[in-house]
Amino acid sequence: MFELFGTVFEVFMRTYPGFLEATVVTLQLTAVGVILGTVIGLVFALMKISGSKILQGIANVYITIIRGTPLIVQIMFLYFGIVEIYTMSNFWAGAIALGVHNGAYIAEIFRGAIQGVDPGQREASMSLGMNRKQTMQRIVFPQALRRSIPPLGNQFIITLKDSSLVYIIGVAEIFSLANREAAQSFQPFESFIVVALYYLVLVMIFTYLLRWYENRLDVDKT
Amino acid sequence: MIIGENIHKSFGDLEVLKGVDLHVQPQEVVVLVGVSGSGKSTLLRCFNFLEMINEGSITIDGKKVDTKKDNLTKIRAEVGMVFQHFNLFPHKTVLENVIEAPITVKKMNKDKAKKLGLELLDKVGLSDKADVYPSKLSGGQKQRVAIARSLAMEPKVMLFDEPTSALDPELVGEVLQVMKQLAEEGMTMVVVTHEMKFAKEVADRIIMIDQGTIIESADPKTFFENPQHERTRQFIQLVE
Repeated sequence: MFELFGTVFEVFMRTYPGFLEATVVTLQLTAVGVILGTVIGLVFALMKISGSKILQGIANVYITIIRGTPLIVQIMFLYFGIVEIYTMSNFWAGAIALGVHNGAYIAEIFRGAIQGVDPGQREASMSLGMNRKQTMQRIVFPQALRRSIPPLGNQFIITLKDSSLVYIIGVAEIFSLANREAAQSFQPFESFIVVALYYLVLVMIFTYLLRWYENRLDVDKT
Repeated sequence: MIIGENIHKSFGDLEVLKGVDLHVQPQEVVVLVGVSGSGKSTLLRCFNFLEMINEGSITIDGKKVDTKKDNLTKIRAEVGMVFQHFNLFPHKTVLENVIEAPITVKKMNKDKAKKLGLELLDKVGLSDKADVYPSKLSGGQKQRVAIARSLAMEPKVMLFDEPTSALDPELVGEVLQVMKQLAEEGMTMVVVTHEMKFAKEVADRIIMIDQGTIIESADPKTFFENPQHERTRQFIQLVE
């Protein structure tokens, strides 16, 4: 036991400069995945509640395909499929794949949250003479956003961990580094423990920030 | 002020309003009564186009409304509505609730809106609550804010949909007091309520709706003392 602790510590000390660099890449992947996913999610959520059969159809196809196929397949598809048409770095291929993947889940989070707002809110707003757009922007969406924050936070944590899958197309994020380290040093067990710790700490920081933000929102409004 | 003619409204197979005619004069206070499910709330919601009528016509302030062509948003802005469950905006302070529509719809400048908002809050006795969020208010206070919020659009007529039904008994009075004051100031009002004392004191006319039609329409004294319809007599016995 102490021996294992010692070798893990030794691997950690030897690899941390590389890991810190790779952590930046992981965070960048996560950030792009989250921001792009949120934008895509919002657009598709609005399409789903638009009342237009065509827009709803498009959104449904997108959500069905993305939720029905594994992320790793989507990453490969984007990497090999898009690169045929448009040259981009493997970082961007991976980040966009994460964003597109996230978008489907976030669309459902937003849709649920928007539809979960009390219909009385919409009625009150309309009765005051606000039109559909004003009602959505000023009354319904701000309330929906507040409700979306816990599930969005959860989705962001999933994105952070899912970003490990882009190692398959050779992006130098922390999992790919751990993988390489494991092969080169013949210490696979220790290497993966170290990378697990990196993820764990990142997720804990993320969770803490989210909780802080949720509390702050509550304090404001009660 | 509001003329409803031959209003029919169905939800699926259920016909809730079966040809209602109702003329509300300017400055008149009309109280709608009836057992639950009689269609009185639906009628009120039709006047604000939260429900669309299937047949008949509605004329607001001399203008016959075509629900297909007309800008309903504009018409709704002229008809205030107070809901049973208040429907205050929980993410906005009391003052922000009141000034939201004047700023967004009428493009009123913020200082002017604030001044108007504070005046209206003062009128309903809540100027000291301007900066708190609705979750901090009692039911009666919430409803008074909702009334102020409606008034901020300077509506030509106010509709009240069971404004005191969701309130604890001790909070009903403060809301009715505000409504009474509005009536005295000459506001045209259509009120769905179970508060018979309010109807007696404030209404110019009480209308009894039963199974989707108007069966009685009379001034309060006649309504309570000499009702024409058997169902009205039963109803009065029930509520008194």
